[in-house]
Amino acid sequence: MSTSGQSSNEAWGSRIGLILAMAGNAVGLGNFLRFPGQAAANGGGSFMIPYFIAFLLLGIPLMWIEWGIGRNGGRYRKGHIPGMFAAIWKHPAAKYLGVVGLVIPLVVLIYYTLLESWTLAFTWFSLTGDYWQQRTPEAMQAYLSSYQAIGDSSIHAVWKPFVFFFITLFLNIYILSKGISGGIEKLAKIGMPILFLFAVILAVSVFLIPTGTNGVTAVEGLQFIYQPDFSRLGSATVWLAAAGQIFFTLSVGMGTLQTYASYLSTKDDIVLSGIATAATNETAEVVLGGSIAIPAAVAFFGVSGAMAVAQSGSFNIGFVTMPLVFQQMPAGQILGAMWFGLLFFAGITSSVAMATPIVAFFREEFGFRRETVSWCIGGIALLFGLLTIFWFQYNFLWEWDFWAGTFGLALMAFIEVILFMWVFKPENAWRALHQGADVRIPSIFKFIMTFITPLYLGIILLYWLYQDAIPILMLRKSPTGGEVPAGTEIYVHMSRLIIVAFIVVFLVLIRIAWKRNGYDDRTEFPVVEDTPAGIPVDARVAEA
Amino acid sequence: MTTGALLFMLISWAFVLGLMFWAFGKILHKQRHFDPDGIGPAAPPEPGKFDDQGRRIR
Repeated sequence: MSTSGQSSNEAWGSRIGLILAMAGNAVGLGNFLRFPGQAAANGGGSFMIPYFIAFLLLGIPLMWIEWGIGRNGGRYRKGHIPGMFAAIWKHPAAKYLGVVGLVIPLVVLIYYTLLESWTLAFTWFSLTGDYWQQRTPEAMQAYLSSYQAIGDSSIHAVWKPFVFFFITLFLNIYILSKGISGGIEKLAKIGMPILFLFAVILAVSVFLIPTGTNGVTAVEGLQFIYQPDFSRLGSATVWLAAAGQIFFTLSVGMGTLQTYASYLSTKDDIVLSGIATAATNETAEVVLGGSIAIPAAVAFFGVSGAMAVAQSGSFNIGFVTMPLVFQQMPAGQILGAMWFGLLFFAGITSSVAMATPIVAFFREEFGFRRETVSWCIGGIALLFGLLTIFWFQYNFLWEWDFWAGTFGLALMAFIEVILFMWVFKPENAWRALHQGADVRIPSIFKFIMTFITPLYLGIILLYWLYQDAIPILMLRKSPTGGEVPAGTEIYVHMSRLIIVAFIVVFLVLIRIAWKRNGYDDRTEFPVVEDTPAGIPVDARVAEA
Repeated sequence: MTTGALLFMLISWAFVLGLMFWAFGKILHKQRHFDPDGIGPAAPPEPGKFDDQGRRIR
């Protein structure tokens, strides 16, 4: 695989490594926790119709657009969103729009590392049988709450969440500091096969559960997920839920796929690799994600019990229901460790990607070493991560999850679709995507990417704005649903203030970077001479 | 399991698995680089040509 002419650690070592890293970025906790609940709650089998339509009209096009923006930015050695946006839109505002591609991954990295540390902690608790005495959903919920809430040391010592958070953050930053091929690619090559292996073992174990006292097996769980309810197809909520699931599962709108793709040259394929990445993620989600948690819950708690589980939220499925299931299975401690280990690998292959756009920004524009930037990001993540632990019970984390991890992603995706397909122009985008391509994209997708994808995204964005963003902003609704708990307002304002502070700091840094490096907003960045592609700027569009 | 649920499950699985195997099949088949890591020559070396006495034809 060609490189961008930088040191060997700053390039992909192999195409399979790149695809595994991209897929690792996409496969996250949502594949195993969110998907089965969404499918079961939104019409079962008939949910798969809007789900796959969203995959074709939103998922695949966004995947190609992000790879295209990233690879195009890489030609000017811009691995960060402000530079990529400036490369496709010759306007002073372009670089500032790119601030979303620095703030979102930083904020998500901070709280996602905490969620990931829960999976590491529960891997340990499974191996040691720590929760083996918690035999009811209420007891298991209390066990989880005691771990999450610092003030509640009834079951867990106060230091536990801090220790697992430090370990998780250290692993993330250490891998990040080792570079693209030396750290991220190695992690993907090890972590992804382990993830799939654990998922297959767990799925097989679930379906080997004998018929219990309730008279149902795990196969009934598949029935529960896939039983079609066509009456739900007329509901806009179902279509939006399907589009939202596709959007989150592919990790688009984060800025990370673009940074990964910026290490490719115009001789490298991005069309087929994009499909392979999306398909790997979908296999992990539909085939494996749908075959573990809900079928296991149905086998042990019956259909009505599983229904309650599905409606209780993703984290309850993973951290309350599954531990109860493992306690009743042979070799439950090992299977429990595999389940949480699987979630940990799904999490770390995603979180390690989140800091890469920020690393690229400081390396390319300020000349800092990767190691220096990585450990500085680690310091910032530690500082603000501690706030997410201390103030967890005040919805501090969920406020970030909504603004950065939900609404911010859709906003970023919408901006990049408009820039790539409308400002850069469909013809240029089409040619840029096909440089070095192994397969041609069917022409219909040019129309889809130009008109349907932005329209689809715009509708989702407006719906979320009306349904969630405005009520949450006005404190009429909590990000977790329901009323804003009394006494939490100050923490909500603090969380928003920190996001605003990050935006301001990055805007200033972008301005300093552009002034310092003498970039002219109205002209092209100089193309990097030693790129393997070596294509002159003017010939960029002509070359295909 | 009802026929409808089974049908939806099989179609969903077939779609994602088919897409994945098709993509990876093409990637492995269309591997334009000689070495597995893709950092070697753009085309594999061709086998040498020899005359009847086993001498290499240049």
